This record gives sequence, structure tokens and C-alpha cells, in this order.
Amino acid sequence: MLDFAPTEEQEEIRKLAQSIALDHLRPHARKAEIEHDSPNELWLTLAQTGLTTPFPEEYGGSGPLEAVTYSLIAEELAYGDPGLALHIVGSLMGPLTVWLAGSREQQERYLPPFGNSTSGYLQRGSLAFAERTGGYTLADIHLQARRTSDGYLLNGTKRDVVHGQRADLRVVLARLAEHESEGPEGKLCAFVLPGTQEGLSIQAEEEKLGLQAAPSATYLFNQVQLPAEALLGETGSSGVVRAATLYQILRAAIACGTARAAFEYCSAYARERIAFGRPIVSYQGIAFIIAEMAMKLDAARLLTWRAACSWDRGEADETLIHEAESAQRQAVKMAQAATTDAIQVMGGAGFMQDHPAEMWMRDAAAME
Amino acid sequence: MIDFSLSKAQQAARDYAHQVALEEMRPLSLECDRTEEIPESFFWNMQRRYWGGAAAQARAYGQDEGVKQENLLSVISQEEMAWGDAALATAIPGPGLAAPPILSQGTPEQQARFLSIYMDGQLHWGALALTEPGIGSDVAGMSTTAVLDGDEWVINGHKHYITNGARADLIVTFATIDKRLGREGIRPFVVPKGTPGLIVGRIEKKMGLRASQTAELIFDNCRIPKENLLAGRGEKKEGFKAAMGTLDATRPMVGAMAVGIARAAYEAACEWLREELPAGYPPHKRRAWEEELKELGQEIEMARFLVWRAAWMADRRIPNSKEASMSKAYAGALVMKATATAVRITAPGEESERKLLIQKWFRDAKVFDIFEGTAQIQRLVIARRLFPNIDIP
Repeated sequence: MLDFAPTEEQEEIRKLAQSIALDHLRPHARKAEIEHDSPNELWLTLAQTGLTTPFPEEYGGSGPLEAVTYSLIAEELAYGDPGLALHIVGSLMGPLTVWLAGSREQQERYLPPFGNSTSGYLQRGSLAFAERTGGYTLADIHLQARRTSDGYLLNGTKRDVVHGQRADLRVVLARLAEHESEGPEGKLCAFVLPGTQEGLSIQAEEEKLGLQAAPSATYLFNQVQLPAEALLGETGSSGVVRAATLYQILRAAIACGTARAAFEYCSAYARERIAFGRPIVSYQGIAFIIAEMAMKLDAARLLTWRAACSWDRGEADETLIHEAESAQRQAVKMAQAATTDAIQVMGGAGFMQDHPAEMWMRDAAAME
Repeated sequence: MIDFSLSKAQQAARDYAHQVALEEMRPLSLECDRTEEIPESFFWNMQRRYWGGAAAQARAYGQDEGVKQENLLSVISQEEMAWGDAALATAIPGPGLAAPPILSQGTPEQQARFLSIYMDGQLHWGALALTEPGIGSDVAGMSTTAVLDGDEWVINGHKHYITNGARADLIVTFATIDKRLGREGIRPFVVPKGTPGLIVGRIEKKMGLRASQTAELIFDNCRIPKENLLAGRGEKKEGFKAAMGTLDATRPMVGAMAVGIARAAYEAACEWLREELPAGYPPHKRRAWEEELKELGQEIEMARFLVWRAAWMADRRIPNSKEASMSKAYAGALVMKATATAVRITAPGEESERKLLIQKWFRDAKVFDIFEGTAQIQRLVIARRLFPNIDIP
């Protein structure tokens, strides 16, 4: 039955995430952008709340979360700072993909370090999705995996891999062509990647337009040989699709949080700023821009929630992919418009680094 | 709990309305648009099929589910109806736009007295008369007056653009009891058809929604019983609040209709690309259109969710002015975009019923950016709710 209200429990978790966002993310945003990293204390704080270990307790996690709940969290984190939100979510996608797509042995091997109560907060995961030839849609994944006598041979590229360089756990999405009949593309699958391997080049992406707080890397695969056990789970299981679409949904939620940060910030500015004797928001030329922002933010958030609901209900892969990609596409587009308009509302001040609006505009542009 | 799945009642409302739209509306659509007339058989079919069967069934399921969901059921149905034909949807017998002010501002006695006439199985309509030649959204500047003379209110004034105005059995008319009070002086009155002094003026010729009746009404010393004032609970602002409260309920419905037309145009454009593509059509162009339609499909979903949310809030009695305006503004702009895109995509094709329908929807769409408050008024409402302490003139 149609319902648009979060549960009380979700509301509590959302508030917790918001307080972390305002106390620990927003104040560190500029520093994180410059240092391309986050302070370890932030991860310690997050680990104490359990927000960064949403996998089963048996591996030291705090218990799985629903996608709707995690979308609420991701929006709040991005409301604090989009770069740091992606820093956190990007890391999380490593262990989450193992949990969703891996075999029991693989879960037992890769998850406990993340759940370790004393050192887990120092672990970083990563999920390589986008490539040199495309964006964050599944149809753009072409990294080719061919079965060999003792494993798999990988060829292709990955880009924008958050924590790609320093990660303790690297997961990559690829296409596995087992039979000629499956065509050149093959089935979507995921591998765990060792740090160094012949033919694999990992390059840090140093000078980015935005989202610098989420350090990222490019992977180049030239005849990279992986052992058979590097493949997560079994081919054809929907775990990989669930992991990939979860990332898309959370990226959509991060875009919504970015837009909300810009919307609220420029609203506060427009309320205070006086021009021709009146607050500038009292002019329709400004008020309408902000009204439009609020409307489109709500629209994109609803689309994101819908995809998250379908994820939680375990809808078919095809539905999930359509809904998650729609949400991501619309939320990112909306965030780009909202952050750009926020600067416009603020005029010259918006362009200055004294205010975070210019950072958010670059962040939103870097979400493609 | 956040949930986007339809309940049994919601699914039933959608299925029934879709069936009615497909069987009763689409086949008449082009002809009614051309002639600006609707055959009487349509009204009887709707009376029988829709109010008698489908809606009653959905309401029964709705009661089983134990949640107040009239607004949701209504927007879900409206989308389907407008997918069939938005003009015909406005002409379905029933109290229509007269219902919200009667329900929100009428005493139980008035509700029974006025709404019971719609229950006799005959053809009856209702109308809401707010707009005047001199005012639209600026209701405070209303010039229609109501003066109490003994046991009767005497109404004088001029209303226009009134949907179903000439066929309505009851017209809820807004008038001022004291111009000096501005919007505080505005009250809703129920004027029955045939009251001496109620004169039906011209029926408008329009760009779109041509089968929908848009009438001019003149009140010339029109006398109605004192008991026909919808006085609410007697508070000072009730009249103005009734006018505005009506809009909070009807804007999501108008938004839902816009979504229905947008979806019809979107589906037709997709079908045209699949089925009617002329030989030799460049493949890169087809791919570009497919991309554009994909985007449009996503925007239609967002518009629908904004509409559903606003209606859901109304059902829960959560104040929804801002969200109602968002749904209307978003859907109004979207239906323009969707129908214009469909016109552009199918432009090279031969004349066909599909193309004529697309052209009709294009003409129908424009008014959804205007009535129940223009796109600009919606933004003003949203902005005023976002900044309650700032005077945004």
C-alpha cells in the first residue's frame, strides 16, 4: 500500500546520520577535499554507530540494513558533505558486494576484517563500476573476463574507483563470456582483485573536478590472470546485480543529499541577504529558483525511494536495473541543476571558496 | 513504512478506470473533440459502469483496508481517465469540483442535502465557480457580491471558465460579503440550477479539452436560501480557506490528469517508433528519440510520485499546500514536454489516428500549466510555504 513516511526506527537512524553529517562531515569537508582523505576519527565514530558495518553479526557486522534505510543515511551523509559521503559509501560497497554476491567461504574470508571491533574502522573496501568508455549503467560495463584452465583472464579498464589505490578489499564488476553463444558481452559478474598482479596497473586519479574527498583510481587490465576463487559466488546469481543496483541507489541518494545541502544553504543566504531594501528571497526571480529546486529534489528523492523499496522487496533484476538507473540518472541531473542554481542565488558569494556551494557544484558534476 | 506498491483497492481503482478509459473514452475521443459535444450515451455508460460498479468496488476494498484513501484512489483513477481522454474525464456525471467545498465547509445537514441528489442514479453534475473575468488566482480581488436580504442571499456578479457550468445541478460560487475585508470576506454559496437570476452565458471555444464544457455564468440578483451558505465552523477565514483548501485537494487531481495525458503521448510516441517508422528513417535519429523518451518515461514516474504523495498527505490530513503545488507544477510542465516531444517525433509520419490523438493531447496539455493556478502561481505557493516568515509579494 502506498506510503511515504519512514518508520520511527528509520527516522531515528536518519537523525543519527544527520547529526554525524553536521558534526563530523560538514566541518571537515574542505580539509578532506584538500587532503583527498578523511580523518580516522571519523571512521571510528561511524564504526561505533554501526552505520558502516551493515552486514550480518556473525562477521562482526551490525546487521544488514534495508536499502530504503541506507538511502536515508546516504542522503544525510551527503548533506554533510558529498565527497565524504561517497568516501564512506564507496568503501562500504566492497564488503557489501562480498556479502550480496560471495559464497559463504568468501564471506568468511573477506568480511571479518571489516567487522573487527578494534581495527575494522581502518579497513577500506572498493567496488569498481564505471569504465573509460561509459558511466554508471550496467550496459556500460565491458571489462572482459575469459575463463582459462585455472582461472580467468581480464582485459579492459575501470575508472573512478573510490579507494581503488589503498583498498584492503577490491571488487570489480566484469562480463564473463563462458560460452560463445552468450555473445561477446557475457554475464555480469564480480571478482576480488589482488593489489598487485602482472598486467594490472592501478593509477590514482589526482586532479579531479570534484568529490576529491573520495580518493579514486583508474585500473588498466592487460591480460590479467586471476585464480578461479577470485570470482565472487556463482555466475548468473542475482547477487551481483543487487550489489551494482544498490550502489546506483546510494549514489542517487548522495546526489539528493548534495542537492539538499545546496538548497538549504542558498535558502538561508537568500533569507539574510538584503538587496534594494528587502531579503532577496522576497523577489520572485529568486524565490522561483528555490521553489523549483525543492520540487525537483522531492521528485528525484521519491524516484530513489521507489528503487530502494523494490530492492528491499527483492524485485526481478530487470525491474531493479531500470529503477536504480532511472533514480541515479534523475538524481544526478537534478543535483547538478540544484548546485548550479544555488550559486546563482548567492551571486558572487557563491563563486567564492568561503562558501561550500562551489564545491557542491563541482561534486555534482563529478558524479557522472 | 515507505512503500510504492499499490494495495488491492488501489490496484482495483487503476484497473477499472483503465478499462473504462480504453472502452468508453478512447473510441469517442477524436469525434468529441471535433464536435465539442458528448453523446448522452457516454454519460449513462459512465454513470452505470464507473460510479455504479468500478468506483464502488474500489471504495469497498478501500474500506476493508481500513485506511482513509479517497484522495489516493481518486488520483490513481484520474490518471487512467485522462489517459483515455481528459476532456471526457471532466464531464463524468457527479458532483465533481463542487464536492470538496461542500465536504470541507458544509454542515452534516448541508452535505446530506446537497450531495444526496447525486445518489439517485440519474445524470447530475456539479461545478465550482471561482474565476471571474477580472480575477484568477488573486481571489481576494473578487467582485461577485453576496448580500443578505431577509432569509435570502442575493448574489450579483460574473464568473467565467466554469467547467460543466451549464449542465451543473449545483454550483458552488465564491462571492464576497464585504469587499473591505479582502479575502477574509469571501464565502462559498451553493446555487442550484434553475435559480432565477442565474444565467448561463457563452460556452467557450478552446484550444484543447474541447469536449469539456467551459461556461460563463452571470448572477443577476440571484436569490438563494440563507441555508445555502457553506459557513464552515463560523471562523473568520473559513471562506477563503475553503477556496484554498479546495485547491489543495484538486491540484493533485489536475496533476494526475496531466500525468495521464503525458503517459498517453509517451506511449504513442514509443509505439510509433516501433510500429510506424517510415522506411529509410535514419537509425541514429531513432536512437536519439529513444534516449529522449527514456528520460521522459522517468520524468513521468517522478510526476506520478509527486501526485501520489500529495494525495496521500491529503488522506492523512497532513497540510499539503506545498506538495500539492509541486505535483501540479511538475506535472503541468511535464505534460507540455511529453506531448510536444510526441508531436516532434511523429511529425514525419503519415496521417493516422495515433497522430491525430497525439495532436489532440498536445492541444489539451497547455491548460494543465494554467488552470487551478498557473505554473508561476504554484511556484509562489511553494516559495511562500518554504519561507513562511518572509513576505513574497
